[in-house]
Amino acid sequence: MQGVFAQVAVLGSSGVLLCGIILLWRRGVAAYITAFAWQSTVLAALTAAVGYFGADPQLYVVAALLFGIKAVAMPRLLRRVARRFAAGREPDPYVNTATSLVVSGLLVLLAYAAARPLEAIADVPTRAGMPLAMGLMFVSLFVIISRKMAITQVIGFLMLENAIALLAVLGTYGVPLIVELGVFLDALMGFLVMQIFLYDIHDTFSTVDVDVLTRLKH
Amino acid sequence: MLLTGLLVPWMLSAALSSVLRRSHRLAAWLTAAAGVASAASATRLWLNALRGEATVVGSGALFRVDGLSALIACCIAAVAGLAMLPGSGIEKSDAGPDGARRFRIFGSLFALAMLVAVTINNVALMWVAIEATTIVSALLIPLHRSKASIEASWKYILIGSVGIALAFAGTVLAYFDFVSLLGRRQDALNWTLLMHVAPSLHADVLRLAFVFLLVGYGTKAGLAPMHTWLPDAHSEAPAPLSAMMSGVLLAVAQYAIIRWKAVVDAAGGPAFTNQVLMALALVSIAIGALSLVRQQSYKRLLAYSSVEHSGLICLGLTFGPAGVFASLLHLLNHALAKSVSFLLAGRILARYRSADVERVSGLMRVMPGTGALFAAGLLALMGLPPFGLFVSEFLLFRAGFMSGHVVATSAALVLAGVGFVGLAGHLMQMLYGAAPDGVAKGERAWWGLAPLAVPLLAMVVMGLFLPGAVGRLLGRIVEAMSI
Amino acid sequence: MEKPLFDVVGIAVEIGQALLALALAPALVGFIRWMKARMQNRRGAPVWQPYAELRKLFGKDILVSQNASWVFHVAPYVVFGSTVVVSLIVPILVTPLPFNAVADLFAVVYLLLLGTVFLALAGLDPGSAFGGMGSSREMTIAAISEPAIALAILSLALAAGSTNLGEIAARTIARPSSALSPGHILAFVALFIVMLAETGRLPVDNPATHLELTMIHEAMILEYSGPYLALVEWASWLKLLVFLMLAGNLFVPWGLATSLAPAALAIAFATTVAKLVVLAAAVAVLETRVAKLRLFRVPELLAVSFVLGLLAVASSFSVR
Repeated sequence: MQGVFAQVAVLGSSGVLLCGIILLWRRGVAAYITAFAWQSTVLAALTAAVGYFGADPQLYVVAALLFGIKAVAMPRLLRRVARRFAAGREPDPYVNTATSLVVSGLLVLLAYAAARPLEAIADVPTRAGMPLAMGLMFVSLFVIISRKMAITQVIGFLMLENAIALLAVLGTYGVPLIVELGVFLDALMGFLVMQIFLYDIHDTFSTVDVDVLTRLKH
Repeated sequence: MLLTGLLVPWMLSAALSSVLRRSHRLAAWLTAAAGVASAASATRLWLNALRGEATVVGSGALFRVDGLSALIACCIAAVAGLAMLPGSGIEKSDAGPDGARRFRIFGSLFALAMLVAVTINNVALMWVAIEATTIVSALLIPLHRSKASIEASWKYILIGSVGIALAFAGTVLAYFDFVSLLGRRQDALNWTLLMHVAPSLHADVLRLAFVFLLVGYGTKAGLAPMHTWLPDAHSEAPAPLSAMMSGVLLAVAQYAIIRWKAVVDAAGGPAFTNQVLMALALVSIAIGALSLVRQQSYKRLLAYSSVEHSGLICLGLTFGPAGVFASLLHLLNHALAKSVSFLLAGRILARYRSADVERVSGLMRVMPGTGALFAAGLLALMGLPPFGLFVSEFLLFRAGFMSGHVVATSAALVLAGVGFVGLAGHLMQMLYGAAPDGVAKGERAWWGLAPLAVPLLAMVVMGLFLPGAVGRLLGRIVEAMSI
Repeated sequence: MEKPLFDVVGIAVEIGQALLALALAPALVGFIRWMKARMQNRRGAPVWQPYAELRKLFGKDILVSQNASWVFHVAPYVVFGSTVVVSLIVPILVTPLPFNAVADLFAVVYLLLLGTVFLALAGLDPGSAFGGMGSSREMTIAAISEPAIALAILSLALAAGSTNLGEIAARTIARPSSALSPGHILAFVALFIVMLAETGRLPVDNPATHLELTMIHEAMILEYSGPYLALVEWASWLKLLVFLMLAGNLFVPWGLATSLAPAALAIAFATTVAKLVVLAAAVAVLETRVAKLRLFRVPELLAVSFVLGLLAVASSFSVR
């Protein structure tokens, strides 16, 4: 049983990470939103699986919230924003595609190195997936700093949150429920505020390319 | 009871401001009253902490106000109260009465979130509160909509949220360490429990966690190289908001860093955290001081000064107990000086209608009262006697030399000197010279100026002789940290 | 690991396996073409059409350009020979093979690369514009796919503890649950993408095109005719079969015979055909659904394969 649990955990984490890497490969905003929706779905499924194998019914609630908010509601809102701004494709990013992919591979290796102390002390069956969660964290950070469209940066940030939630689920079978609820609330509010700003940026600048946000220097 | 007096007034002020749409004056006075009530409770909490007892409220010790919490809670209450006073100039700014009402609502929530962050015992809930401060303040920055303010608030919310997310990652890692040792407990994330079990936690996992926590909370504290949101946000935000952000929001982030440093040091010794913190602190001081020399906007000037002082505070934390004492004193004084300076900058902006240093001249002639107080504020920030910042910087550098970090302390000293020159140059340019055309002369609304003189007086008092109430409290905090 | 069978029966099985691969390769390609035609609502040529093509070509004259050198004449034999040698060492029916001692995964890859290099040289040799263009494109793709394939192999080797093909297959048979490990799956996907690049299938290269803009493999062999063309075409079909068998038998090795009993061989034959059909169908479906990538996007696809290989290596490494 433990073997199956470990396999499921690692498979799920790999799926979550791969959805994140898709952000570096494809260029269309619609593809990004779909990748994020799939990532959140896999994460919710993995959370439910951990709740089942780890005998912690609170995680079912968390999985349901994850699915409802991050796999359904947020992509819907994002699609509405993207449609409204007719933002089809990401303009040439600061780092080209092939290099970004190679960099992301190296970042995952870095995450494996950084997560050695974690794996050394962990005795949960899900520990093999923790380096993948850290890898997704680094990849999301890379997405945020190397992409030019504001909406891509928002999606990168949402993936960063997914990565940390994955880390919490794998390492400690989730954080206490009250903390989880607080985090969800914060994530939702933060996302809504970012949405407001996306509209504001578009209204004020007539584009969502953050390359033009260069008025304030030094 | 005391905690209710600290937090509830802000809740009421936010609620009432959103309900009272027409009666602006009434709402303004209610907000001011809330500030006073909160400050009074904060003072009582301070007195409690002086006696050595921590105020504990709530089941499972949900809220716990010990010395450090009381110190920063007082700063928050005082600065927020000052910023929300009716005379702070928010009505005269371009935002209009509607903007003023929005400011009162969200500003109260902002103060509430900050107070919750420093008084709550649970590490993760503290994180939730700090994230809430980011969201609320981001809504307030573009109070007056323009391209620059939208850009500033976008940078703020993106960089701030990313930083905060990393801080949460660090929290999760620390929780993971705890759980792998002691299993999952309901109160696992309480500061008291963490400090208690810290010696038996795994040092290398906590070090990894500390890196994330430092980068995350350091972003909110204005440490370089994550500080890039600071100058933009402060230059575009309305002055009272800048006062609250620079004065006390940075202090709340520094509070988080101090608490976590204590936990990680208890686990594996202070060597690693000192190195990392010192590196970031020195870079912050360097960037802050060097940017002060060539600045064109006086609001950005104050913002970079915040970066520099934030670096100094964090540097002091690495110098042992004497350094921590100096850092806390510096934190207190900086909160007072920076908030007053920003509020005065708001008055200057309202009169001169320009944020450029070159356009502002002859301050002593145009607004003598504001000019004098602004000069006092900037002199304080430069670290001159008789203000309290001189004493705290002196203690800081002395602690640095005595603890053996000669190179770092000398570098910081030189950079502080550079910052001094930068600030002094711009101050002279603003104070003297001919007043530009089109600017009305003469001080107006003296009554709005009077409350701003109080913090400056308090700093003079602390600079001349450290009152027992302050000194003893700081001593108790250093003891409790047992670094 | 069982003792290798160094006797006449073993060698006979080896040669029989290679002959079987040679015989099945045209049928495989015919099947893929037939499936694509059916999916495009055409009737399509029958599955044994490639056999007819080979017979036709072997009967024709060879026409050689005046500018061609010995490379042009030697290349078809080298390509064909290297691919046949590879088919001798890849486990198609039986594992471990009598030649198992040299059945190293790196040997397989670099034998195939030998064929590719000679084909590229043969494209340049006659001095025609199309040939040179095809050769340069082919070498670009080969250069970028080498790291990717090396990483995919490395991850398999790490999991099995050796680069020997027989070992790898034996390890996976011994531990069925490792077939679902992410290292395994990622390496499979990485290898599949590289296979598409190396064997000239869509979305990297269209095997049915003769447009200047889209040819890669076809451009290199444009000058060939008669038996030379037959050898080169047969070699490329055999390469496809070998890659598919690699993918199938390294990742899903059940069904491989571990002894020479006739019953085991019969089962192995049946499962081989089944795996070929499934993988060929997958290739056909993919080719029908996906459009050809523009040439400068191919490095991006291979970079994805490289990253997947990297992840597979990291994952296998951490499991040990």
